[in-house]
Amino acid sequence: MHDFLVAITKWIGQTSWATVIRTTRIYPYIQLIHFSGLSLWLGTNVLVDLRILGVGSKRQTAAELSEALFIWNWIAFCFVVLGGFLLFSGIGTTYLENAAFEVKLGFFVPLALSWHILVQRKVRNWGRQADTPPVAKLSALIEVLLWVCVVAAAVEIPNY
Amino acid sequence: MWESLEQVGWVKVLGTTGWLYSSVSVVHYFTLFFFIGTIILVDLRILGLAGRGQTISLLADQLLPWTWIGFTLAMISGFLLFTTDAGDYAPDHVFQAKMLVILLAFVFTVIVHRGQRRWNQLSAIPLGVKVVAALSLLLWLGAILAGVDIAALSGLG
Repeated sequence: MHDFLVAITKWIGQTSWATVIRTTRIYPYIQLIHFSGLSLWLGTNVLVDLRILGVGSKRQTAAELSEALFIWNWIAFCFVVLGGFLLFSGIGTTYLENAAFEVKLGFFVPLALSWHILVQRKVRNWGRQADTPPVAKLSALIEVLLWVCVVAAAVEIPNY
Repeated sequence: MWESLEQVGWVKVLGTTGWLYSSVSVVHYFTLFFFIGTIILVDLRILGLAGRGQTISLLADQLLPWTWIGFTLAMISGFLLFTTDAGDYAPDHVFQAKMLVILLAFVFTVIVHRGQRRWNQLSAIPLGVKVVAALSLLLWLGAILAGVDIAALSGLG
C-alpha cells in the first residue's frame, strides 16, 4: 500500500501542473485556496458547534443554522481538498515521509470529517429540542477539538 | 527597538519552547480561519450568494460577535508570535503589507457591522453595499495571502 502511494505520488509530482507548483512563485496562491476554504469550512463547522453548545446568540436553532450553512460548508470543503491536494502534489513524497502529515491526513482528518458528518446529521434532531441533550453538546465539543487537532498536526509539519 | 522586545523574559521562553510556540500558532491559525469564515459568510449573504433563507441581520447578528471574539484572539496570538522575532518581522515589507491589509480589512468589517441593520431593511441591496461586501471579502483573503507570503518571500515564521 505504501509503495503504491509513493508510486502515485511520484507520478503526480511529474505532471506539468505539479511542477509549476513546485518551481514557481504560485505556491502562496495555492495556500490561499487551501486557507480560504479552511476559513469557510472551519467557520461553518465551529459556528454550528458553538450553537449546539448553547454559547452565544440563540436567534436560530442549531438545526436551522446548520441547514442555512450547509451548502457553503461543503463548497468550502471542496476548496480545502483542492488546495490541499495541489499543495501536496508538488513535493508529495516529502509529505509522505513526514510523521505530522501522516497523523494529520491519515488519522485526524478522517476522524474529524466522519465526526462532522455525524454531528451534521444528528443536529437536525438535536437542534429542534428546547434543551440540547448533553450528548449533543459533548459531540459538538469533540468536533471542535478534533479540528483543533487537525490544525495542530498541520502546524507541526515543518518540524518533522 | 524591536530587537529588545525579543529579549524580554517571557518572549524568550515562548520563542524557544517548541510546544508553547506551536500552541500559540494553532490558536492563531484556528481563530483566524474561524473569524474570517464568519466574515466571508456575512459578505456572501450581502452579495446574495449565501444563506438567502435568512435575512442579513438574522445571520449577521449571530455571526458578528464571534467575528470580534475570533479577531481579538487572532490579534493577541499574532502579536505573541511577532514578539519572538520582532527584530526581523518589524522591518519586513511583506509583514508591513500584511498589517496594512488587515487594517483596511478591519475598517471594511466595521462598515459592514454598522451598516447591516440598515441594509437589512432595504428591499434590494444597493450596488455600493455589494461593492463594500466584495471588498471586505477580498481584503481578508488578501490578509491571508500576505500572511503566507511572509514565509514564502521573506523566510520568516
